[in-house]
Amino acid sequence: MLGSLIISAAFLCSLLSMVLYFLAFKGKTNLATYARTAYHSMVFLVFAASIFFLYIILTHQYQYHYVYSYSSDNLSIGYLISTFWAGQEGSFMLWLFLTAFTGVVLQYYTAKRDSLEYSVMAVFGLTTTFLLAMVSPLLKNPFAYIWSEPLLLDLKNINPDMVRLPILQSFFFADPGTGQPYMRFNTEVYAALQNAGITMKEFIIHGKGLNPLLQNFWMQIHPPILFAGFSLATVPFTFAVSALMRNDYKDWVRQSFPWLLAMSGILGLGIMLGGYWAYGVLGWGGYWAWDPVENSSLVPWLISVAAIHTFIVQRKTQNEQSPIGRFARTNLILSLLVFILVVYSTFLTRSGILGDASVHSFDNPGSSDYIFLLMFIITYALLGIVMVAVRWNKLGALSLPEGNLLSRELALFTAAVAFICSATVVVVGTSAPIIKKTVEPAFYNQMHVPLAIIIGLLNGLSLILSWKTTSTKNLMKELKISLIIAFVLSILSIIIGDVTNPMMMLLIFSSFVILIINGKSGYKVFKANKKVLGAYVSHIGIALFLLGVVGSAAYSQEKEINLVKGQPTHVLGYELTFSDLVLNKDNKYEFVIDVRKPGGDASQSISDILRFTRSQGQVRPLMFISEVNNGLMKEPDILTSFVKDLYISPLNYDDGSSQAQNGTQLTLAPDQETSIAGVKVRYNELIKPDVSAMSSGGNFTMGVRLTVGEGKDSHPIDVLIRKDGNNFVAIPVEIPEANVRLSLSTIDHASKSVAIVVTPNDGAHSQMTQQSEVFTVAVSTKPFISLVWIGVAIMVIGFGISTFRRFKESSK
Amino acid sequence: MKSKYIFGGIIVAVFLTLMVYLFTQSSIQYESSFTKVIEKGRTVKATGKWIKERNYEINPQEKTFTFFMKDTSGVEMKVVYHGSIPNNFEVAQSVVVTGQYKDGSFHAREILTKCPSKYQDKKSS
Repeated sequence: MLGSLIISAAFLCSLLSMVLYFLAFKGKTNLATYARTAYHSMVFLVFAASIFFLYIILTHQYQYHYVYSYSSDNLSIGYLISTFWAGQEGSFMLWLFLTAFTGVVLQYYTAKRDSLEYSVMAVFGLTTTFLLAMVSPLLKNPFAYIWSEPLLLDLKNINPDMVRLPILQSFFFADPGTGQPYMRFNTEVYAALQNAGITMKEFIIHGKGLNPLLQNFWMQIHPPILFAGFSLATVPFTFAVSALMRNDYKDWVRQSFPWLLAMSGILGLGIMLGGYWAYGVLGWGGYWAWDPVENSSLVPWLISVAAIHTFIVQRKTQNEQSPIGRFARTNLILSLLVFILVVYSTFLTRSGILGDASVHSFDNPGSSDYIFLLMFIITYALLGIVMVAVRWNKLGALSLPEGNLLSRELALFTAAVAFICSATVVVVGTSAPIIKKTVEPAFYNQMHVPLAIIIGLLNGLSLILSWKTTSTKNLMKELKISLIIAFVLSILSIIIGDVTNPMMMLLIFSSFVILIINGKSGYKVFKANKKVLGAYVSHIGIALFLLGVVGSAAYSQEKEINLVKGQPTHVLGYELTFSDLVLNKDNKYEFVIDVRKPGGDASQSISDILRFTRSQGQVRPLMFISEVNNGLMKEPDILTSFVKDLYISPLNYDDGSSQAQNGTQLTLAPDQETSIAGVKVRYNELIKPDVSAMSSGGNFTMGVRLTVGEGKDSHPIDVLIRKDGNNFVAIPVEIPEANVRLSLSTIDHASKSVAIVVTPNDGAHSQMTQQSEVFTVAVSTKPFISLVWIGVAIMVIGFGISTFRRFKESSK
Repeated sequence: MKSKYIFGGIIVAVFLTLMVYLFTQSSIQYESSFTKVIEKGRTVKATGKWIKERNYEINPQEKTFTFFMKDTSGVEMKVVYHGSIPNNFEVAQSVVVTGQYKDGSFHAREILTKCPSKYQDKKSS
């Protein structure tokens, strides 16, 4: 109750602050103090709600649906904290928390700039209001109680003392797939427990746990950074709408610029951390799969980068005669788009509209969420479109005549166009499931290679062009040396890397052009004026990133191999030996693989010690059964070095005792009769497990009793499945007359029907052939993937420097 | 004066043509009717159910997994997946296979299994 109450109160404060700020903007400036108080009260309440939310997670209050669904008592404190954003409700909560905080800084920032605060905070309040409505008790309420919706409780999460209560018996059943016992929990059970005087806190003693994929350091920091980016994305939107409201386009670019840069840097960092997590945990070998959820954060970032380039032009062309400068309309539209696209992405990924297309773990929300998210996006889109349309002509009259074709302005504008094109490609591809289609990654890749080449060449060109006009002669003189160096480096890389694809050659050349020209200009600037270094640093980062992408994506090699225990196997220039299998302290199997580069002797070279290359080492990919989803989880391991990563991803493990796995499946309902190879088989009765063993988590058996044969020859056989620790093991039974072996596959406890696998028992199969242990892995090499991470990190540093510079400028 | 528009216009036109072309080339349709999957022989994402009663086969040498699927109207299709059996395949409620129908069977290069969500999530029947 408390959490829901705080959220509702915060919602009202947010709404009130928005209205009061708007009235203050309309002239009733005496209301501003109240508006500020309302905003700060809202922030206080949101902080309180967040702390309370964290408190119920840390104290394992499983009577809350969210806490039960995403956490458990054996999680370390770090993972408990990341439970905060593991689910939909919590991630909205995190977004809200960070947005509220951003608003505090924004209020402070704008209050120092005359009456700017009123219009800015009135618009900003719209976002907090929408987010508060999202986490309100009506929609994705993180404080919903467990009985608010029917669900299935895993029996092992219920207090064993209460399992035998007679009132509960009719609610138990077992999952037909795994035999795992469950309870149907609904208001009826809740009422029965209340009557018996049992509280939910006593009844549910464990949670379902955190998705094992999210139990990772990068997942602790990736979402907060990403959502910080989303929160900051509200600010350029806010400044743009505020400028349109005030009909004053002189200062807003300067004021909004540091926010735009900060947002772009932080969102970029967040996206990269997500990629790093995917690379290290998911095991498909890459950091980017053009998955809708990844794309949805990339699109606003691309637009923000486009906006940065046109912002620069507007700032540079503002002067005494023309206080507004060029691209006023473009900048307004792009600023609005950044946040509209954040909301659109949220709509795509959270409304369930993508259905089959995404592998990400957010489940489908109900239809009320869908409608609300649709309202969210329509509100922001309409606000943007209407405001721009109303002011369109006035803005047109203010804009300046065009500059020369060979000017930095036009090059920057073209760069922005290229970024917008890239964003369009991603939006179109991501939205394809709406029309029941889906695009292959090739669609994105093929579109982006030429775009990246254009962006690279333009970047090199634009830095050499001066702001007004450059004569062709001067241009060539400036370009010559840099182009020659870039060309030579490209040829070298092409030869060493054995590059044959012409597009890749162009991309390599284009990346070197960025690198050399920015390096050269950056060096000059570094000696003269360090403040303006940001752009060069970011560009160098992008160049390194592109080279890393070319290396790791286009020149990655992959092979699937079987590693026989103790037997060295040669693959992709390495010698791999599966030497040991260890069960570690987290109950996960570590497959120890020794890696050696043949030819290199045991002594480590300097290049090995510096991690420039690796000629020997050990990797330990993991496999384990997750208690959270009862699934087999596989985790890759990587031998990292600057030049090349060796990526080993587990596929399959065969301990040598496996049988031939082919057979036919047969489903039998109670009393049903069938014939297997001419022998009559009849479903006799279900063998139920012992409830007390089942509930205490102990081992038990269950299965079905069949009657084989007819008349006096008939005899019963039991086809059983045994729970053994965390595993379910089928106990095969033979029917000699039919020459088959039966093993139980699943039991459907609702209909009591069973599925049985029938395998021929033709001697060859019955004899277990003694094999050695075989570990099947996908091995791949990722040349220069390190440049991807280094490049992005350098780029983010560049954004930081620029943010600082533009922040200093904004108060002039 | 209008150089901005000419320059931008050309880029946008080239870009849009390329994008539409590539979109039609690389987009894959979801298809729930196997009759159409078999008829057209195009690369599709076919959605259906695994027929557990029919024979299935795992070939560790050639790394293939062969099984049968049926669509909502009961049309059956043999599926050859080039790879090892996916996780949780046994409990999958429905299966999405990406590939192409060729020479009497559907050659899948990707399998996506959808597990019965009621055991993972809130909704109980």
